Amino acid sequence: MDTQNKILHELLDLGEAMLINGAEVKRVEDTLNRMGVAYGASRMNVFVITSSVVVTMTLADGRELTQTRRIAKPGGTDFRKLEELNALSRRCCMLPLPPEELQREIHRLTGARTSRVKFYGGSILAAGSFSVFFGGGLTDGIAAALFAVLVCVLQEHMSPYCTNTVIFNFLCALLTGLAICTAANLLGMVQIVVHIDKVIIGDIMLLIPGIAMTNAVRDVLLGDTISGVMRLTETLLWAVSLACGFMSAIWLIGG
Amino acid sequence: MQTAIQVLTAFLGSLGFGLIFHLRNRHLVAAALGGMFIWIIYLIAVSAIDGIFFPTLIASAFSALYAEIMARVQKAPATLYLITAVVPLIPGGSLYHTMSCAVRGEWEQFSTYGMDTIQYALGIAIGMSLVWAVYDMADRILHRNHSEQK
Repeated sequence: MDTQNKILHELLDLGEAMLINGAEVKRVEDTLNRMGVAYGASRMNVFVITSSVVVTMTLADGRELTQTRRIAKPGGTDFRKLEELNALSRRCCMLPLPPEELQREIHRLTGARTSRVKFYGGSILAAGSFSVFFGGGLTDGIAAALFAVLVCVLQEHMSPYCTNTVIFNFLCALLTGLAICTAANLLGMVQIVVHIDKVIIGDIMLLIPGIAMTNAVRDVLLGDTISGVMRLTETLLWAVSLACGFMSAIWLIGG
Repeated sequence: MQTAIQVLTAFLGSLGFGLIFHLRNRHLVAAALGGMFIWIIYLIAVSAIDGIFFPTLIASAFSALYAEIMARVQKAPATLYLITAVVPLIPGGSLYHTMSCAVRGEWEQFSTYGMDTIQYALGIAIGMSLVWAVYDMADRILHRNHSEQK
């Protein structure tokens, strides 16, 4: 691979890493445009959707290079990595790093281990808070917080084996729903009242693709129609599968 | 009392999501305060305007404004602040009611809750898009004036 191709390859690595960690389509397009110009392109043609990146780079001597990248799956949103990747791109636009060094930097930033404590703690806090936020009592909040641990365990250990998000959301909702209904019925026997609906609402907030959905509508309104419509279709399917999962659980055990 | 509890849990909920999204500590509290602030604006708007769509739109517009300001102050991408602050507006409750009505076959209730959910989603998206559209235009106008001066 000659140097120019290597540079383009690294630009795609950067774009891919940003997309996976939760960057908007527009940001990735802007970043790749600016980076390309910083590395000496006379013209950049960048096309990004949530599942693919296509870049054609016109060099100063008139040669044109094209590379494409398929983005397999949006990973978990990681704003720490996104912020660092964004800072790296800014630094590079001011003073372009040699491609080998850029590659090392991208690997270092994306390879950093993320804190599980934060993920679990955040989920527990968010589920408990939103259960109370949507009108639950203190017991509902505590129950939602406890079942948030189950949701986290499923997200961590089941999602690697279940790459289809529709199926994953259904199973995750079904299992969590079954656990919540069972626990509520058992607690009901000892006169502790837990409102199943409030507990489920708290835990739904962790799984609901609300942010992806908001991003999708936003993309459509701002002119990135293809990625917006694509993501909107996905998120609607996810929301329906989530709903089916919880409702099957309630239907099986009785709320 | 209910209001105070909601405002407090909006803060804690946003804080929780900030942690889930691995927000760095120096952004965490400011982003969560954004969530609380946006919910207060929503409550004020809802007491002044009927319906769901316009109060959500106003609150969402403020969240975009807050995110842009914080991004300038903290020199970080605006998405960090936006996504964390907008979390309390996400219609988890009405989505749940929509589907539970569907399961019980109460179709009239289902369409009421369904419409609510759609209004929340559209309100959030349109509110922030409006701010960006204005922001983008202002940026271009300022930028042009600037380059003409050169």
